[in-house]
Order: sequence, then structure tokens, then C-alpha cells
Amino acid sequence: MEHVVLGIDGGYPLLVLAWLAPLAGAIALWAFGPRVRSLGGPIGAAICGVAFLALLPLWNAATAIGSHAYLFSTHSNGIGAAGASAVASYSTNASGANAAAVSTLAGIHQSLVSWAPGFTFGLLLDRLSLVWALVITGIGFLIQVYSIGYMTGDRAFARFFAYLNFFVFAMMTLVLSDNFVGLLVGWGLVGLASYFLIGFYFDRPSAVKASRKAFVINVVGDIGILFAIFLMFAAVGSAGYGDVFANVAKLSPGMLFAICGCLFIGCAAKSAQVPLHTWLPDAMEGPTPVSALIHAATMVTAGVYLIARCAPLWNASEESRMLVGTIGGITALAGALLGLAQWDIKRILAYSTMSQIGYMIMGVGVGAYDAGVLHFLTHAFFKAQLFLTAGIVIHALADQQDIRLMGGLRTRQPFAFWSMTLGVLAICGIAPLSGFWSKDAVIYGTLERGYPALYAIGVLTAGITAFYMFRLLFVTFFGTYRGAIDPSSLGIRHPELSGQAVEPAHDHHEAHPTSILMIAPVAVLMIGTIGAGLLWIAGWRDFFAPAFAGAPEGHGAVFLPELGSTILVTAVVLVGIAIAYVRYAAPAALREAIERLRVETVRMPAPLAHAFYFDVAIDALFVKPAQALGRLAGTVLDPLVLDGAVRETSIVTAWLGHLARSFQTGLVRAYALTLVVGAACFVAYYAFGAVR
Amino acid sequence: MLVGPEQYIALSAVMFSLGVAGVILRRNPLIMLMSIELMFNAANLALVTFARAWANNVGHIFAFLVITVAAAEAAIGLAIVVVVFRKTATVDVDEIALLKG
Amino acid sequence: MIAAFCILAPIVVGILLFALPRTSSVPRWVGVGIALATLVALAANPNASDATLRWLQRPFTASFHVGFTGPGYAIALLLALVTVCALVALNAPRSRDFTINVLFLEGAMMGVFLAKDLLLFALFWDLMLVPVFLTLVGWGAPHGRSAWKYLIYNFSGGLLLLLATAAYGAIYGTTDVIGAATLPIPAFPGAAATATPWILAGFAIAFLVKTPVFPLHTWMPETYADAPSQLAAVISSVQSKAGIYGFLVIGLPLFAPQMHGVAVPMIVLGLIGLVYGALAALVERDVKKIVAYSSLSHLGLMLVGIFSFDELATRGVVVYMVAHGLFSAALFLVLGYIEAREETRDLARLGGIAAINPRLAGALIIAALAALGLPGLAGFAGELLILTGSYRAGLFWPAAIALVPIVIAAAYMLRAFQGTMQGPRVADLPERRDLTWLEGLALAPLVAALAYLGVNPAPIASLALGAMHTLGVAAR
Repeated sequence: MEHVVLGIDGGYPLLVLAWLAPLAGAIALWAFGPRVRSLGGPIGAAICGVAFLALLPLWNAATAIGSHAYLFSTHSNGIGAAGASAVASYSTNASGANAAAVSTLAGIHQSLVSWAPGFTFGLLLDRLSLVWALVITGIGFLIQVYSIGYMTGDRAFARFFAYLNFFVFAMMTLVLSDNFVGLLVGWGLVGLASYFLIGFYFDRPSAVKASRKAFVINVVGDIGILFAIFLMFAAVGSAGYGDVFANVAKLSPGMLFAICGCLFIGCAAKSAQVPLHTWLPDAMEGPTPVSALIHAATMVTAGVYLIARCAPLWNASEESRMLVGTIGGITALAGALLGLAQWDIKRILAYSTMSQIGYMIMGVGVGAYDAGVLHFLTHAFFKAQLFLTAGIVIHALADQQDIRLMGGLRTRQPFAFWSMTLGVLAICGIAPLSGFWSKDAVIYGTLERGYPALYAIGVLTAGITAFYMFRLLFVTFFGTYRGAIDPSSLGIRHPELSGQAVEPAHDHHEAHPTSILMIAPVAVLMIGTIGAGLLWIAGWRDFFAPAFAGAPEGHGAVFLPELGSTILVTAVVLVGIAIAYVRYAAPAALREAIERLRVETVRMPAPLAHAFYFDVAIDALFVKPAQALGRLAGTVLDPLVLDGAVRETSIVTAWLGHLARSFQTGLVRAYALTLVVGAACFVAYYAFGAVR
Repeated sequence: MLVGPEQYIALSAVMFSLGVAGVILRRNPLIMLMSIELMFNAANLALVTFARAWANNVGHIFAFLVITVAAAEAAIGLAIVVVVFRKTATVDVDEIALLKG
Repeated sequence: MIAAFCILAPIVVGILLFALPRTSSVPRWVGVGIALATLVALAANPNASDATLRWLQRPFTASFHVGFTGPGYAIALLLALVTVCALVALNAPRSRDFTINVLFLEGAMMGVFLAKDLLLFALFWDLMLVPVFLTLVGWGAPHGRSAWKYLIYNFSGGLLLLLATAAYGAIYGTTDVIGAATLPIPAFPGAAATATPWILAGFAIAFLVKTPVFPLHTWMPETYADAPSQLAAVISSVQSKAGIYGFLVIGLPLFAPQMHGVAVPMIVLGLIGLVYGALAALVERDVKKIVAYSSLSHLGLMLVGIFSFDELATRGVVVYMVAHGLFSAALFLVLGYIEAREETRDLARLGGIAAINPRLAGALIIAALAALGLPGLAGFAGELLILTGSYRAGLFWPAAIALVPIVIAAAYMLRAFQGTMQGPRVADLPERRDLTWLEGLALAPLVAALAYLGVNPAPIASLALGAMHTLGVAAR
């Protein structure tokens, strides 16, 4: 069996270092956390920084292409090659046409272990994984620095950084793996890290519930990928990227669609796509830096990575592109609509994350991989910045998260105000901030490739996004401060249910001064928020051209040229902003702000207030029936039906035993008499029987 | 009168019957043990008689085996009687039913 | 000779331990020492030669023949390791007698997994029930109900096993056939044709009861819940593998055509158990019963793996047997620690322990994660290999259905973990001390093995391979 590996095989200690250092950090901080206490934060951040720096020297090797159209092939001698006893040989023109399709993905490859024929593991660093790895470690580093300030005084300070480091390790496993099983390992481990961090305040029942929900829904995604692995292994005998992509031509369209569909179940669960998105808003139970790193910048974009990684599969399957593009569009719209109905600052950002990932999935789904990946990059910057800014606000207001109880913070927190404004402008796609370039590219990419319906959704969603993000900005920072007034006058009936839950670690309800450690990372992120989009005109497409070779190309100019589309989107966005201004920030609106918020709270349309009833439906369709069946098994079938038959047998046996017992009187003479009578019977039988 | 095998067998039968009657009718375990000895010896007598009658030594050998077993049985039986007496302070077998099921 | 040592040493030392005073703690450490000795002896001699002693000549030949088959060697290693851990973790009263029981159990189970003669296998099979029964009577709940249930179910199976062995010997002329390179020619070919399916039925029912497989499983939740946790750890991790092992080294090579004939019902039973156990675990309130039902689920998966007759799946079964042994032992040991501290196993009465016992919580979450098949730990490797192999062998629906319990497993394992460890602290639970270093030491090797095999299961998977050539499973 020939084993095709993407990238040039070799030994890359720096790559292994970047991969394993966070794991070592996690284990050390977990084990010795109580000892190092306040040093835990700096140690965690430093390790993440080391991982980032270790990746930089690999840039040239990982991006060099052209001359390295190598396929690495191993000949394993059947079942005997359970260990790493493979014989290696390089060949520059292995297996003809298929080689051309995959050789363009050159990068560097480090072999690790082999489980069984077809299940071999290694690390692969190419352009795609390089971008992700740099974002994970880079933004991971910034957010850990921020967390040192944010989490100061928490009783589980070091454990928090252990989890963050573990997350970075898991995410690196996900993006650096050279095969689907390794990807699945990373996929599961990031889910675990997410579980730990959502449930970080584990004495709060809502956090416990949210963490379990997130984990279980993500396992649903895991089994989707698992089933895709079955399909691929049965079809090509391996789960390695190289082996699968080299054999795409051999797969039937139905099989390709099945594989892509199963993989997409994983993407949907991890990247909060409809209908598996319900865990993401609840995941905001975690500390705010976690929301920024895991539930905005990196982990939730794993689905985008997977689809971009599997570009050869999606390129060959028109139905899969249609499916994924549609789901992405629906998610973008649904997330934006649900964002309209939220009052919790973090939940607004969570729904906006869901909506933006919908854009990315729509982009990579229809084949505009480079646009989708750029939107991942710009979103990582501006959304992390938005979350961290929200964290500064929450921190300063003694853990208040309800924007109805904020207001007028523009003058109290000028840094937060300007940072939030910048982030909001970026997410709305105002030129020339980063979001403008990437979102525009995604939206136009759908039209270019012949999906006008998705294009319409994209434009509409851009307008809604502008409205609810500016609503967030205006309600929070404009007008007068409402933190001191009675919540019931704003229509808030159950303060504890509307996002006023207090992170119990900060049990002193007073405003915290904002530390420089929290401001500096946000300032660094601002650079990306402003400038990352410029990569689009600085050769981004050329950089990724080899990785996404064979992607469906646009049909050129359709009825709308790109410039026209840009103007249309910008106009829609400006309309959204204008409506938000009139409703929330115009002088007339500010005068009656309290009354307006009260009316909006009370008259929230039911479908929006209940998040389109997804939770109710999932509960009724899956959770309740499973519990009912379980109760049937445990309390009826087991003790009554299955055990019943056995118990009948034992009752009959016991009755026979009671019968026999009555002969055992315990009296010696009775036994002797029985003996004699028995002997007499024998004698009588032979004596008289012989006569007859 | 010539004493032949018939007479020995008759004696053996009488001895055995006496032993059986003793075991069934008496309530003192010591007497019961003696009655059992009586039955053993009745059997021994029969064995020896037949051995002589058929000029075969197996019967003699078996008689010795029975004597050995009888000795062991008497020893164990007496030990049990002593232990039971210590525990229940009675030697009436009708009042001892420790093995009742 | 190593095999004979591993069987006899624990039993002989166990008998000698009766000489020590009942209350002494020395026997426990002697027990740890001898279990460790068997572990080292096994690990150091993977290629040890067989030991054979002639036994019966008539009516068929049988020998005291012990040695290593591939899967048997893997389970024997697991058994020695788990015995060491269970004895280190021991916190039951009357530790001398408990230790002796555990050592007898180790010796008897070593006999089961190292026997290469069917008659010897059957004898050790019955022998291994005795120490469990005695421990259940002596240390379990007062009425002894679970002990009898355990004994009645398993001895019934053992009886069938013995009858089937006798019939096999009578027809084929020898019982010295486990792991043999060549199969015996039946002495009575006519009888062989009619009787062989019945002989397999006898073996199979015994294996199904012991594993256990739905619907013969009802003895298991009660036994596991009632047994002291250290014993539950040993039986759930090792004894439950006896049935699967039997299918692997007796069913597959000796009865290959008949096994193929019953594949469909067996796979159906395995799948029912897989789903049924997961659902029952989802609502169960007794944490030990949750683990028991999860075992039913996992063992069902192994059955599916065996009856898919695929090389990859067979590797997966061996990996999963070891993985399940490791994580179920770890789970029961941790639950034992919790039960000893809080004196309850009811989820409704537990909660919030992590706030004051973080190390205990850490131990439980690791074991629970391994059990729910977290990628990166050994359970996942086994599941992946079994299911991929089954799917490749053409079992589309079984592979698809078997994925559902993976989701349910995540739900019930986290429910058990969060119910005991997280949430608000339950007011009436007294504060106890955290995991001691000795308790941690008992878990460390299990966790280390789980992590190692999760990253690289090839050493264990290839043990299946060594057996497969003699087992006659066609490599694809």
C-alpha cells in the first residue's frame, strides 16, 4: 500500500516544540498550580509566546512551493507493519494525475506514530495550518496576557492558565495533524478544553449545565467526523489527508457527498451552525477571555479550517458546496436576527460570532476559500478585541453584563469606548477596516460563483449586523448611566436570569481599575483590526492559490460588478447604522431611553426571545425520549422482565428445597429408622421379587 | 451337632438384628455406638464364615479392614458425643437436632 | 514457566497469608508484592515458552498446558496491573482476608487467560467465580442477594461450558487446542457435524453470561454496585473480558464456520446491549450502577467487533479490552474513594465535592473522559479501530448505530462527574480530606497506560495480530 503524505517529510524539532510546549505547560500548571499561584499567569502566557516564536523560523520551509512537488510514499508490508517499520522512498512524480492535484499543498511534515495500516500520524505545517497556528498561538498569547489582569485574585488562577494552555495544545493538534484521525483527536480535545473553561465556575449550576451541553453537542459533531473516517477508510484504506485527496477522483459523487456531509456535521457542531448552534450563547458562562479566545477567535472557526483543508473534496462535489453554503447563509442570518433580541453584552457578541462564522462557512462552502479564510483572520482580530473590550467594561462595572443597566459609559471609560467603536466599525465592514475587505470578498464570492440567493442573504445580514452592533454601542456608551436605577422600570423581571449573574470569584461588588495588562493586548489587536484586511490586496489570493488549486472559479462579471456590490453592501450597512442611530442615539431617543428599553424588553417577539425554539425542539426530540427509554430500561425491563424469568426459576428451586428440608429432622434415630426401612425394602424386593 | 456355616450365619443375623434394634430403640448415644459395634462384628463374623466356606482369604482381609474402620468410627463417635454433651448438657439423642434442615 | 508462575504464585502466597494475623496490614503489602512480581514476570518475558504437564489420557487427552496467546497475554498484563492497583487502593475492613480473596481471584483468572487447554480453561473459569462470591458474601450488602445472583448466573454458564468442553473432548479426542497451530481432526466426524453447533452454543452462552450481553446482564449492575470497589475494579476490568476473550481464542479458531452462522444475532445482541446500557446509564442515580451499565454498553461494542470478522476490528477489540479494563478499574477505584468518604453513591445526595477535594475531582474526570471515549485516550483508539473495521467489513448499520451511544456516553459520564463533583456544595456532606498520595499512586499507572495507549495502541493492537495467524481470521 502506498502512503501519500502532503509536505516534505523530515525532522522539525521546532514544530514539535510549538506543538507540545503548551501541553507541557498545561500539565505543569495543573499539577503545580497551587504552588506557583500568581506566577501561573505569566508562565502560561510565556509558554504560548514561545510556541508562537517557534513557528516563525518555519515560515520559509512551510510556504516554499514549486520546486517541492514531492510526494512521500511508504511501502508497508501489509499487516506486519504495525510499528514504524515502513520503508521510505521519495518520488517526484508519483501516480500521475492525482499527484498533480495534491503536490501543490507542499509544506513540512513530521512523522510521529503508526497505529495500524492506514492509521499513521504526523504533523503537517503548510500555508493553511500556518495561518491558523500563528493565530492560535499569537492571539492566545495576547489573551493570556490580558487574563493575567482579568483573573487576578481568582482562587483558581493557575488552573485557568492550565486550561488555556491545554486549549492551545489541543487546537494546535487539530490544525497540525496530517490526517483525519489526528484532526478528530484535536477536535475532541478542544471540546474538552472548552468544557473545562465554560464550566470554570463549576459551583454555578448554569455554568455546569452550559458546559455539559457544549460538550455533548460537540460529541455529536465528533461522531460525524468519525463516520466520515469510516467512509474514507473503507473507500481508500487510509485516513491520511494525502491518501484521501490523492484518490478523490476514484470516489463516486454520492460517496463524496456523504463524506462531505458527515464532515460538515462536525463543522456545524464546532462552529455553531444551525441547528447545532445552541451551545454557543450558553458558553458565555465562561470567563470573558475564554469567550474571546475559544468562542470567538479560534475554536469555533475549526469548521472553517476543516472545509478549507478538505478543499479537494469540496471542489469535486457541487452538492456539498450547495449544502454548506446554504447552511452557512442561514446561520449568518439567524445569528444576526437573534443578536437583535439580546441584552447581555456577551450574548450579543456570541450571536454575532455565530453570524460571522456563518459568513466564513458560506465563503469556504461555495469555494471562495481564500475569502473565508481571510474573514477568519480579520474576525479573530476584531472579535477578540470586542470581547476583551466587553471584558474591560464588565470588569469595571463589577460584573454587570446587562447593557440596559449600562449607558453613558463613553465618558467614564474612554478607552473602552474607542476600542468598541473601532471593533464595531470593523465588524460592520466600514472601509478600510479589516472587516470591510474580508466580508466584501465573501459576499461577492457567493455571487461570483453563482449563488444569488446566498448573496442576498449576505447583504441583508450585513445590514442587520450593522443595526444590532451599533445598538450595542449606543445603548452601552451613549445617554446616561442607568446602573443605579431600579431594573424593574426597564422591564427586567428576573435580574438573575437576564445576564446579571455574578462571576463568583469576584465577590466584591466594586469597580476594578483597568490594568495596563488588559489594555496593552487590546491595543495590539487594534492593529490587526485596522490592518489585517489589507492582506487581501497584498497578495493574499496568490499566497493561497496553490493550496486551493482547483477551486470553482467565479464566472467573472455577473450582472453586478465587484465595485457595484461593494457600494450596495456599504449602503445597506449605512442604512442599518442610521436606523440604530435614530432609535438609540439621536437626542430625541436618548431622552426617552428608559421607556424605549422597557417597551422593547416587554414586547420582544416570542420567537426571538426563545431563540427560534431550537432548545425546546432538541429537548423534546432527543433528550426527553432518551431519558424515557433509559427509565424504561432501568426501572421496568431490567428488574421486572429480564430478571423476572430468572426469579421464577429460583422460586421453583427454593420450593423444592423446602420440600426436601422437611425430611431433615436432625434426629439420629429417625435417620436410622429410615435406613432400616430402606434396607428392609431392598431385602423384601429381592426376597419376594425372586419368587415371582 | 456339627457347627457349620449355617449356624455362624444365623448367629451373625441375630447379632445384627440386636444391633439394629439397639440403634433404633435406645436414646443413649453410647449404647447406640455399642450397637453399631455389634453390627460391625456381625458383619465380620459373616465375612469370616464365607471366607472359610469358600476357601478365599479376601474375607479375612476385609474383616481386618472393618475392625480398623470400627475403631476409627468409635473414636470419632465418642469425641462427637463428648463435644455435644459439653454444649447441650444432655445425652438424649432425641433432644439433639443440631442438623435439622 | 512464566505462565505457570503467574497462576500458582498468587494462589500459594494467598494460602500462606492465612498464617498471618487477621488484622495485620502486612498481607496487603505482600499481596501487592506478589502481584507486582507477576506483572514484572509477564512484562519481562513476552515470549516465554509454554509449560505442559500430562493429565488425562482417557476418554480424551487433556494437559495442564499454560502459555501465552496474544490477547491472553494482553489481558494477563492488565490483570496483574489492576490487581496491584486494587490492592494499593484497598480500604476495605479485614484487609488480610480481602487480600487473600483478591490473590485467589488473580491466580484463577490468570488460569483462564493463560490456559491453552479447554478443560483447564473450564476449571479455572468456575474457580474464578468462587473468590468473587466469597467477597460479595463477606463484604457486600448484608442480605447477600447480589452474591447469589452472581453465582447462579455464572455457575449456570460455567456448567454449560464444562459440558461443552466434555463434548468437545469426546468428539475431537483432545482438549489441548487453545492457540494451537493446527486444529484437531475429529475422532467421530459424523458426530462432529451434528454436535459442533451445540458445543459452540454451550460455549457461547457461558461467554454471553460472563461478559455479560443483553439480556443476560441483570446480575451485573447489582454485583458491581454491591461489591467493594476494589473488587468491582478487578472484576469489571478483567473478569468481564473472559467472555470476549473466549470468543476470540476459542470461538473464532475452533468454530469458524458456526461463528459466521450466528454473526447476525450476535451483532444484534451486541448493538442492543450497546444502546440499552447507555440509555439505562443516562437516568441511573447510583454512580456505580452508571459505570456498570456503561460497561454493558462497551462490551456490546466488543461483541460487534468480534463478529465483524475483520482484521482491523479484531485489533480494535484487543485494544478496547485493555482500554476498558484500565478505565473501568480507574472509575471504580475513584468511586470507591468517594464512597468511603461520603458514604453514599446516590447522585441526588452528592455534589460540589470538587470545591474542597480538587485532586479527587481530577482523578474522576480523567477516568470518566477515558470512559466516554475522549480522543487521545485509549478507549477512543479501540472504538475507532473496531468501528472502522466493522464498517469496512460491510456492517454499515451496526457502525452507524454504534455511534449514537458515544453521544449518550458523553452525557451520562459528565452527568455522573458533574453530579458528584460540581454544582453547589450539598449541605449535609461532611468535609473530607482530599485524595491521599497512596490513593493517587493506585491510579497513576492506570492513567499513564490509558494515555500511552491512546497515543500509540500499536503494541497492544499487534498482540491481536500474533494471535490472528493461529486464529485463522483472514487478514484482508
